[in-house]
Amino acid sequence: MPGAVVCTEAELKGDITIGSRTVVHPKARIIAEGGPIVIGESNLIEEQVLIINRADKTAPEPVTMEIGVNNVFEVGCHCESLRIGDNNVVEAKARVGRQTELSSGCVIGSFCEVNSKEVIPDNTVVYGKKCVRRVQGERPQPQTLQLDFLMKILPNYHHLRKAMKPQSK
Amino acid sequence: MELGDIFYNKAEYIETASGNKVSRQSVLCGSQNIVLNGKTVIQSDCIIRGDLANVRIGRHCVIASRSVIRPPFKKFSKGVAFFPLHIGDHVFIEEDCVVNAAQIGSYVHIGRNSVIGRRCVLKDCSAIAPNTVLPPETVVPPFTVFSGSPGLYAGELPECTQDLMIDLTRNYYQHFLPIAQVA
Repeated sequence: MPGAVVCTEAELKGDITIGSRTVVHPKARIIAEGGPIVIGESNLIEEQVLIINRADKTAPEPVTMEIGVNNVFEVGCHCESLRIGDNNVVEAKARVGRQTELSSGCVIGSFCEVNSKEVIPDNTVVYGKKCVRRVQGERPQPQTLQLDFLMKILPNYHHLRKAMKPQSK
Repeated sequence: MELGDIFYNKAEYIETASGNKVSRQSVLCGSQNIVLNGKTVIQSDCIIRGDLANVRIGRHCVIASRSVIRPPFKKFSKGVAFFPLHIGDHVFIEEDCVVNAAQIGSYVHIGRNSVIGRRCVLKDCSAIAPNTVLPPETVVPPFTVFSGSPGLYAGELPECTQDLMIDLTRNYYQHFLPIAQVA
C-alpha cells in the first residue's frame, strides 16, 4: 500500500503535505505556522518529534519547509530547519535550528544541537557532547524494511488519518 | 531519609487491581501487549509502545513523566522484527528518558533526559546518570554507573544498591497518594 501512515494521535497543524510510504508515529507534532510543510516519501517520524515551521516576524511571506525522502527523525528530536535533503538521520533528542540546512546523508547524533546558519555538507556526522563533526564514507541506509513493517502493524493498533483531497483543506 | 508525599489528582490516574497507578494522560499503545506486574507507577505523558512488541515491566517500577519506552528493532536476513522489552523489578526511570533498550534488569536507576540506545542491555543494579546517551548495543554491567555522551563507565555502585533501590521505589509508591480534586 503506497500511502502514508499517519496516526491520528499525531498532532498536525497547518498546511502539511506528506509523501507516500511515510510513517508518522503517534505523539509526533508537525506544526506549520509560518508556512506550509512538504514532507517527501519514505520518511520515518517517531514519537515526540517536533517539526515546526515557525512563524517568522521578519519574513512577511510564508516560507515552505521542505523535507526530502528517506529521512529518519528519531524520538524526541526538534527540527526547525527549512530545507532537509534525503537520507538524513536526526537522532533522539537532537535539535536542528531554523538557519541550518541539511543536505543528504547527514547524521545528527543524539543530543546534538546544530543552530548555525550554514548548509551541512553531504554525509556529515555530528556526534558527541561537543558536536564534533566528521565525514562518513557512505550515506545512512534507508529504512525501507522498518517502514514496511510499521506500515503493516501500525494500522492494527492505531486509527489512521485518511488522505485529504488536495483541493479541500 | 523519608520521602515527602507526592500528591496526584485522583481523577487523573487509573489504579488497577494489582496496584498499578497509570496516568490517563500517558499513551499506552497496544495495551494488550503491555504487562505491568504490580505496584508500578506510570506518570503523565509517558509513551509506552506496546504495539511494536511486548513490553513487560516488573513490580514497583516508577516511570516518570514524558519518558518513552519503546522496543528496539532488529534487522534479520529475512526482514525486520521488533523485540520484546523486559524491564525488571524496582526500576526507577526518571523524566524525559528515551528507552530503546532490549532488556533492563532489576534495581536499575535511569537518570533524567537520558537516551538509551537500541538493543542496549542494562544488567541488574546499574545506574545511568542524567543526560547520558548510551550508544546502541551497549551492555551496562551490574553495579556500574554510566554517564556522558557517549555513555562510558563512570563509577561503581555499592553492594547495597539493591536494598537502596527497593527502598526508593517502595517508598515512592507508598508516598504517591491521591487527593480528590476540590471541584
